[in-house]
Amino acid sequence: MFLTRSEYDRGVNTFSPEGRLFQVEYAIEAIKLGSTAVGIQTSHGVVLAVEKRVTSPLLVSSSIEKIMEIDSHLGCAMSGLTADSRTMIDHARIEAQNHRFTYNEKIKVESVTQAVCDLALRFGESAHGEESIMSRPFGVALLIAGIDEKGPQLYHADPSGTFMQYDAKAIGSGSEGAQTELNEEYHKSLSLQEAETLSLKVLKQVMEEKLNNTNVQLAAVTEEHGFRIYSEEELQVVIDRL
Amino acid sequence: MNPVTLYNNDIFTNVPVEAPVERNFYPYADNGGTSLGIAGADFCLMASDTRKSSGYSIHSRYSPKAFKLTEKAVLATNGFAADGLALTKRLGQKLEWYKHAHDKEMSTPALAQMLANTLYYKRFFPYYTFNLLGGIDEQGRGVLYSFDPVGSMGTEVCRAGGSSAALIQPFLDNQVALKNQQGVQQTPLSLEAAIRITKDSFTSATERDIYTGDYLEIFIIRQEGTTIERIDLKKD
Amino acid sequence: MNQFSLNFDRENYHEKPKNDIFADAITRTQQPIVTGTSVLAFKYKDGIMLAADTLASYGSLARFTNIQRLYPVGDFTIIAASGDISDFQYVQHLLDTVMVEEYYTNDGHVLRTQNIYEYLSRVMYGRRSRFNPLWNSYVVGGYNDGEKFLGYVDLLGTTYQSSTIATGFGGYLAQPILRKAVEGREDTLTETEAIEIMNSCMKVLYYRDARSFNKFQRAKITAEGVEISGPYKAETQWDFAEGLRGYGP
Repeated sequence: MFLTRSEYDRGVNTFSPEGRLFQVEYAIEAIKLGSTAVGIQTSHGVVLAVEKRVTSPLLVSSSIEKIMEIDSHLGCAMSGLTADSRTMIDHARIEAQNHRFTYNEKIKVESVTQAVCDLALRFGESAHGEESIMSRPFGVALLIAGIDEKGPQLYHADPSGTFMQYDAKAIGSGSEGAQTELNEEYHKSLSLQEAETLSLKVLKQVMEEKLNNTNVQLAAVTEEHGFRIYSEEELQVVIDRL
Repeated sequence: MNPVTLYNNDIFTNVPVEAPVERNFYPYADNGGTSLGIAGADFCLMASDTRKSSGYSIHSRYSPKAFKLTEKAVLATNGFAADGLALTKRLGQKLEWYKHAHDKEMSTPALAQMLANTLYYKRFFPYYTFNLLGGIDEQGRGVLYSFDPVGSMGTEVCRAGGSSAALIQPFLDNQVALKNQQGVQQTPLSLEAAIRITKDSFTSATERDIYTGDYLEIFIIRQEGTTIERIDLKKD
Repeated sequence: MNQFSLNFDRENYHEKPKNDIFADAITRTQQPIVTGTSVLAFKYKDGIMLAADTLASYGSLARFTNIQRLYPVGDFTIIAASGDISDFQYVQHLLDTVMVEEYYTNDGHVLRTQNIYEYLSRVMYGRRSRFNPLWNSYVVGGYNDGEKFLGYVDLLGTTYQSSTIATGFGGYLAQPILRKAVEGREDTLTETEAIEIMNSCMKVLYYRDARSFNKFQRAKITAEGVEISGPYKAETQWDFAEGLRGYGP
């Protein structure tokens, strides 16, 4: 599919005769090289879990951050070119704070997801000739988890600016296997604790290294505590349940 | 606008100041009128007279200044009516945008915060309006907010605004908030009592204040919806 | 060397005085110059009736005595102005432009009186908000699909609708008479009665408003469209002046 280069690879915003934007599709491919990230929504809250690739024993594993807070009720996990996510998360945080400032209420999960996706296609040249911010699409996908008046929700946002809501979603290199597993194991009455276990179980299956409390990250958004990243000790408790 | 040469010597050439503009025109008017709000346990009452005046002239006997902004909120504007109308239009647009962006109606507390910001953004050329925003919150409780022209916001139980504010407020403090009464117990104010107090407030204000009269509009905002009652006031 | 007037160096000729910090100052309408006085209007059975005299004053000087202050906009709307005449002429031009644009769009859509009134109101409020007001009070009257419309807007952007409207001195002298005669009878007053009321109010204004003139026009907007008529003259009586003692010779 991508073996031959074509002239439509030149302009980032040029459609191919089949109606495709190759650069956007390549960006989506870039996600498939990233570390696996999993999100599971339950009626009690949403769980996010990511694999951290600790490529050297000298690497300080806690310096790898792939789950981040957007607001007290919103978190996000990422896969792909994680550096690209800084722009998106910055934007999401600003949108969330702006909403609090203007309306004195928490922003909805869908609204913040939409705000992030609004950025996605702002690459290449713009129609009015002014400088564009980005030369290429984002190379990262996000799993955005949060709680609002509609309850706990999980969204997936990709480099094309498309977002969709999921009960459970896996992205990254191990996503195919992980998604199959999630499809089989997910049910509506999953408890938060079961979701914690399931997320790590799924990660464990697709990870090359042996899963431990330093090479995965786990977080949850609940009504009681909002967004919270698990400490290594809390993580160990979940791992022990596997 | 071009920078202006202030003095033609070495020190003060090309000082980048704006050319001075002479201003004799005063862009505000006081159109009078009175509004009142009472927040109950499960309702909110908003009332305004409909007279619009300027000086000793009555412009219109029926020119409403209280507007239903959402299913659960009513805004009463006093002061400069043209600003009140412009503000109401802008809020209407913002509410519509919010609905498109977030797929829901804005809650009354959110609307109050937005109104405070909207007013403050015009801090240096204010909307000369004294606003009361009343309605019910997401839990169905009556809420009432008052604002000054530059966006200071306060949460209230009862508040009168406009030309008869000083006449009515002490009466409300006494009858609604039960201030300066000995041996009374705080019981939730009934809607009937609130309506009675409102009518008394306005008939009395109409007697003493030349800017208040003609008609009274009473909005009652409840979970089930908003009703409006129109009552005659004296037209002299 | 600029001794020949034809060789005046144009740039130097137009150079602004140095050291004058007001040289670049923007000047705006800070006061009306050539002005029209009151406009009267009210609702009656068949529609709306308006009246205004034909005088444009330059301060206390009766400068132009044949100025029309009632102006039709479209087939069922009239705007009438008091205040600065040049600002009024600008507004006439502006509304003409809008009407022409609407017409050649050719989509079968026509602006109703309410739309013209709202547009004018936004123009007036917009100008006052830019500290550059159009120094007028406008009365907008119209009749669309059986519905009467009568509205007011002034230089501050203040708006209201009422069954009787009087601008300027008319607000003090004619408005009370109009309210007594019209309020509650908007749907029963005949055209003859309406003319009678209007004439008597114009007479009162001519007697007491020093900036008024005994030559006025009336307009009506009915289901048939707009109709501006006149000029008319009020029958006046000045013999009582003879009996005044202590002021004259």
